Amino acid sequence: MKHERPDTTQGRSTATHLLLGALAFGSLAATQPATAQALRDGRIGYVMTERRWAVYETEDGKTECPNGFNLGPREQFAILFPASSGKVYTEVESHLMREGLAFHDMESKEPFPFHDAQGPISYGLNLDGKIGPNDFQSPEGVKGVDNQLYRAIGCIGAYRLNGVVSFFDTDDMYDNGYNRWMIELTGVDDLVNDDDVTVTTYRGLDDLQRDGTGSAFAPGSTQEVDVRWGQSFISQLKGKIVNGVLTTEPIDRLKWPNSQPGVASGYYIIRGSRLELQLTDQVAKGFLAGYVDVESFSHQLNTNWATHHQSYGQLSASSLHRALRRLADAYPDPKTGVNTAISSAVQLTLTQVYLVHPQKKTVVAKSGASSR
Amino acid sequence: MRPPLKLFWALSTGLVLVVVVAAGALRGGTPLLRDADASAKGATAGESFKYWQSPDNPEYEAYREEPMPPGFQVVVADFEGPVFADERGRTLYTWPLRSLRNGATGDREGKPSACTDEVLRVTAGLMSPYPAGLLLPDLDTRPSCVDVWPPVIAPKDAKKVGKWSVIEREDGTPQWAYDGYPVYTSILDQQPGDVRGGTKMDSANDGGVVREPIGPAPAVPPEFEVIQSTSGRLLVTKQRYSVYTWDGDEPNVSNCNKECLTEWTPVRAPQIVTERDGWTIVKRAPGINQWAFRGKPLYTYNYDRGLRSFWGADVPGWHNVYTQRTLPPPEGFTVQDVEAGGEVLADSRGRTIYLYNCRDDSFAQLACDNPDSTQAYRLAICGNGDPKLCQQTFPYVIAPPGARSVGRLWTVMAIDPDTGRRAMPGQAALNVWAYRDRPVYTYAGDDQPGVTNGDGYGEFTGRRNGFKAFVFRDIFQSNAFRP
Repeated sequence: MKHERPDTTQGRSTATHLLLGALAFGSLAATQPATAQALRDGRIGYVMTERRWAVYETEDGKTECPNGFNLGPREQFAILFPASSGKVYTEVESHLMREGLAFHDMESKEPFPFHDAQGPISYGLNLDGKIGPNDFQSPEGVKGVDNQLYRAIGCIGAYRLNGVVSFFDTDDMYDNGYNRWMIELTGVDDLVNDDDVTVTTYRGLDDLQRDGTGSAFAPGSTQEVDVRWGQSFISQLKGKIVNGVLTTEPIDRLKWPNSQPGVASGYYIIRGSRLELQLTDQVAKGFLAGYVDVESFSHQLNTNWATHHQSYGQLSASSLHRALRRLADAYPDPKTGVNTAISSAVQLTLTQVYLVHPQKKTVVAKSGASSR
Repeated sequence: MRPPLKLFWALSTGLVLVVVVAAGALRGGTPLLRDADASAKGATAGESFKYWQSPDNPEYEAYREEPMPPGFQVVVADFEGPVFADERGRTLYTWPLRSLRNGATGDREGKPSACTDEVLRVTAGLMSPYPAGLLLPDLDTRPSCVDVWPPVIAPKDAKKVGKWSVIEREDGTPQWAYDGYPVYTSILDQQPGDVRGGTKMDSANDGGVVREPIGPAPAVPPEFEVIQSTSGRLLVTKQRYSVYTWDGDEPNVSNCNKECLTEWTPVRAPQIVTERDGWTIVKRAPGINQWAFRGKPLYTYNYDRGLRSFWGADVPGWHNVYTQRTLPPPEGFTVQDVEAGGEVLADSRGRTIYLYNCRDDSFAQLACDNPDSTQAYRLAICGNGDPKLCQQTFPYVIAPPGARSVGRLWTVMAIDPDTGRRAMPGQAALNVWAYRDRPVYTYAGDDQPGVTNGDGYGEFTGRRNGFKAFVFRDIFQSNAFRP
C-alpha cells in the first residue's frame, strides 16, 4: 500500500548503505521499458541466485582471527593419532570414532582450542532491537548487529569468501532445484515506497536462466511454484518498502532449503527470521537474518558435507557444533533453559522471475512442521 | 490396459530365451494404511502399482542371446532382469577397476584378478581424509576377498567363447572372464535369481569399487535403453528420456492425435524393422512409423523436466514403461511424497525407509552393509559404537508375526539387536524386514511423514558408510537411483 515518499537521505538501513553503490546500475536499468513490467498486478517475484553466510573479513584474517584459523579434520586427526608415535591404530578407535563423533558429540568436550572471530565489526541485522555487549557494529556503523554465528564460523576457512562452503553453497545450488528458493511480494503499489506488502516464500521447479555471458542470471524468466512437494518451504511475512529497501517483520520459524548434490535432504530452521533487501525490478539483494536452530545447522552440515569436503576448509563438524551450542543466544529450551538457536545472517542475491502458480490458493506451511 | 500374455509371446521369437525365477507364490493382501499420511499409498493400492508389478504379471525382460561357456545360463531375476549364472544358477559378477579419492582398486581389463585369498589387515587409505595403515575391524573373523567372492574357475581346456575368455590367476588357476574382466560369484547369493552381491544401478564413486552383476543385453531396438531403477527395468530412449504409454490407445493403434500431440511425441521407428521381442510398429501415416512395446504405442512427453523422468506419468492415463517392474514390498509398506521432491518407500505410518550402504577401505573393498559382515562401521555411525543408541537412531522395521513377502527381494530376518548380526537359532531376536538381504530402517529424526532427514547420515553423505532414503522418484537429482 502506498504512502508518502520520505526524505531519501535519512534513515537508510544497513542493506541500503551496503548495496547502494552496487545497485546503481540496477537502478538505472529499472527505468528501462523492458523491465518495467516486472511488477504486475501488485506482484513481483525473485529467485535466489547467490547465498552466503555473512562473514566479515579483513586481509588474511589478522583482525578477526588473531590466533589463526581453526583446525580441520585432517589436522585434528594428526594430533590425536600421530604417525610419529609408532603405534598402529585401529580403524574403530580412530577413523570410525571420529566419524561417529560428528553425529553424536553431545556428551563429549572439545579437545582442541577453538578460535572465535574477534572484533567489533560484522554484517547482519539488529535482531532483538537492543545494543548488547556481544553485539557487533556493521561496517557502515549500524550498532546492535546480532550475528553470533559469525563468531563460530568466522575463523573457519570453509566459510570465508573463498572457502569451500561459501563457494559450493551457491555453485551447487544452480543445478540442484531442491534449493530453488523464491520470494514473491504481493500488494505492492510502489517498489520504492509501500508501507504494507506481503512476502511469501516458495520453492520453484525450474532451472535458473543465465544471461548471454553464461555466468550471470537474467531477470524475466519464469518459475513454477512447487506446491506438491515444497509446501513446507512456503512461509509468509509482512513487510514494508522504504526507499527501495524491503524490511519484513520476523516470523517465528522459516524452513530454508540447502542441500548438496546427491542428498535428498538439507535445510536450516531459522527462528525469528526476517528479510532486509534492496529492491529493483531486476534484483533483490541483502540479508535473510534470524536465529538459526543449532541442531538443524549441524544436521545439514553432517548430512550434506562429507568429512573429506569439510577437510578442504579446515571445518571440523563436531568442533563447530560445540561452538554453536556455546554461542547460541536465543530460544532457550523450556526444560533446560539452554539456548537452541544462534543469531545469524545470510547474504542473498535474488533475481527477478515471474512466478507461475499452479493453484490459486496459497497454503502456508504449518508452524509446527518438522523441527529438525 | 496391459497387452494379453498371448500377444507378448506371439511377438517373441525363438531366438530369445526367457527364464522366470523366484516369482513367489505368496500374495500381497489389502493395503495397510492404518495411520499413514493421507498422501501415502499402500503397497497394493492401484496407484503404487506404477512402481511394481503384481506377482501374477508374467512380463519379464527379454534379452539378446549370446554364446556362453558350457553350463552357463541366463536367469531373469525379479529385480535386475536377465543376469548370467553358472551351472548352479549362481549370479556372475565382475569387479572393474575404478578410482576412489586417493587411488584405484578393482580388476584391470585383461589382467589377473586382484581379488586374492590374502586376509587384508589394514586400510588402503583410498578414502580421504583418513590415512592408510589403520587396522581393519574384526580381524579375527575377517574373510579374504576370495572367501566372499569365489572366482569362477574355468576348465583347463576352456576356450574363448564370444565375450568370454580365460585369464590365469596369480597361482596359475584359469578363471573365466567376461569382456576382459575376471568373473566371480557372491556368497550372499543363495538361490538362482538372487543378485545380492551387487546391483545394476549406477553407483557413485564414493560408494566404493563395487561388484557388478553381468548379463546379456536387453532385447530392445537401438533407439532404446533399459536402465535399472529402484522400481525395475525402466525403458528410456537412447538419449535417456522416459517413454510413456497411454490408456486411450488400443493394441497397436494410436489414438493420440491433434491436441494430444501438443504434449506427446510418438517415438519414431525406422521404415524397415523386424517385429520381435514384443516390439511392433504402429503406422501413423504413410511413411511415419511409431514404436509400440507389448502392443502399446510409445511416446515421449514434451514437458518432461529431465532424463529418466516420471513427470509424464503424473498425467492421468499415462504410464512409464518397464521391461519388468520390481515385485511389491510387503504388506504395510507405502509410497510417500517427500519434500525432497519425489516419492520414497515408507512404512505404514508414512515414515521414510532407509537402506544402509557400506564398503570397507581395504583394497578388496568388501561390503560391510549386511548382517554377515562386520557391524563396526554401522554401529559407529548410528550409535557411536553403542548398539542401543543405534536402535534408537535408526530403528529396524519390525516384521509382524507370520509376515510374508512376495519373492526373495524382501525377506524376514532374525537379528540379534545387541550385535546387529543374524541371531543364532533359539536366541532372542528381532524379526525385521530385509531388502536384498539387508535390514531396512526408519530414522528417529523423521518426526512426520514426507521428510527424509536421515538421507546422507554417515560418511560421504551416506554413500560410503551411511544411510540413504529408499527413493523411487527424485525430481531434483535426475532420478539418479541409488542402491
